[in-house]
Amino acid sequence: MKDKMTAIVGAGIALMAIFTFAFYLLAKETIELIDIASISIVIILITTSIYLIWDRVKNLKAGLPAQDERLKIAGYKAGYYGFIAAIWSSVGSNMGSIILFDQELRGGLVTAAVVLISGIVFMVTYIYFSRKGN
Amino acid sequence: MKTRIKEFRARYDLTQEDLARKIGVRRETIVFLEKGKYNPSLKLAYDVAKALKTTIDELFIFDD
Repeated sequence: MKDKMTAIVGAGIALMAIFTFAFYLLAKETIELIDIASISIVIILITTSIYLIWDRVKNLKAGLPAQDERLKIAGYKAGYYGFIAAIWSSVGSNMGSIILFDQELRGGLVTAAVVLISGIVFMVTYIYFSRKGN
Repeated sequence: MKTRIKEFRARYDLTQEDLARKIGVRRETIVFLEKGKYNPSLKLAYDVAKALKTTIDELFIFDD
């Protein structure tokens, strides 16, 4: 029951993210180079989330659990890497902007970079560890 | 670590999915266990051994 609820809530959140993202793209008149990086990260995040939800639903339909101890451990490991990425991106995004574009990032952009980078590191490492075994 | 899960599974004519359902884990976990690519917790090792009507030391062979 808990697994089903998690899958339903996850699907709902993914749908809302897709709609929000679509509205953002429709409202935007011009897409600059810096936007392309964040847009592609959002696309990767949404795609991987949908994949993970589909994977869970597939297992639930087959009468298997959506998550077991191996995947829980994969989640903990991925969370650790996501946390490290959040720390480094909070410093690195601003430093990178100064080095590459000779200007500091606004606070909001740093927050966005931290969320997007740690999110993508979490997703990629979670999929990697869940396909790797130990 | 080597395991004899495949051998015991064949003895009871169980598929990986049947065993996974019996224990309450995902099929991929059984695949990784059989290949020796995943070190299970003591509880999971016990559950697998119980499902295959054997003991942990019969099922899992540790290399020194």
